[in-house]
Amino acid sequence: MILPIVFAVLAALGPAPGAGETKTTIGAVEEALLLPWGVALPARVDTGAARSSLDARDVRIDGGEVTFLLPEQYGGLSLRLPLYEMAAFRTAEGEAVRPVVSVELCLGARRIRALVSLNDRRYMAYPLLLGRSFLADGFLVDVSRSHVLKPACKGIRGRP
Amino acid sequence: MKGSLLAASLAALLHLAAAAAEKRVIGGVEEVILLPWGVRLPARIDTGAAGSSLDAREVRVAGKEVELRLAPEFGGRTMRLPILRWRTIKTPEGKGRRPVVRLEVCLGPERIVTEVNINDRSDLEHPFLAGRNLLAGRFVVDAERRQILPPQCPLGPRPR
Repeated sequence: MILPIVFAVLAALGPAPGAGETKTTIGAVEEALLLPWGVALPARVDTGAARSSLDARDVRIDGGEVTFLLPEQYGGLSLRLPLYEMAAFRTAEGEAVRPVVSVELCLGARRIRALVSLNDRRYMAYPLLLGRSFLADGFLVDVSRSHVLKPACKGIRGRP
Repeated sequence: MKGSLLAASLAALLHLAAAAAEKRVIGGVEEVILLPWGVRLPARIDTGAAGSSLDAREVRVAGKEVELRLAPEFGGRTMRLPILRWRTIKTPEGKGRRPVVRLEVCLGPERIVTEVNINDRSDLEHPFLAGRNLLAGRFVVDAERRQILPPQCPLGPRPR
């Protein structure tokens, strides 16, 4: 007698209308892979940041390219990528101009091309920050969760 | 007698169902109302911030209380609130300390009593910053959208 009522009420109140049927819910921290190298990076999911950023050391701009090192604890790879642009950022310290590069990330089963600014994040807890420009591509953020997705993109070799 | 029993069990079921229902979706910016003053403020919804903060001017500590003034753009109201504790903030210039107070805010249909640190950020775009302490368990964030859940709180005495 009571059970059907419970189900009826649950069905009526269930998923809120239009509540991101097509969007993927992720937590406040997720693991992403930097492709094609397959480097696993814990990422802070940050709706307070307009853009994304990646922890990079020894950043050098060389013509139209940027060379940098990933932090040692994440493999320390030396990378060379085309410079997408130099962009001004508002930071706690004031204005900073940083190089921006385009990288491919694997989050869950999706490969996503993202623009990331390169800066030294050694005093921050996470080497990768995913900002609104990234999250606008189909994600909802639930801060009561973390590591909701496991990197599961096709055709990726193991971590170095 | 039988009717009131049915009504009571229905009310209990509705409560249970509401708890089981999905968290509400909010955008990257929402309007909040500071209670009991009824001051409306645009809020940045920031999954990258552990705590919430209120942007204020003329922040002065008087004993165990903090006095502050909202920016003139938002009515310039003066408030005097008990300090719950101090929060140490790491900034590039060294360590800073901000008073933490308890505030009641209305976000969407929810009245939420939450801890907020007081900070002169001079951020006229978003004088309130809703961090993970306020969002967890209540909301999921769709950073692509803005102002999708206008504040509509039941009036009356403070909850709890």
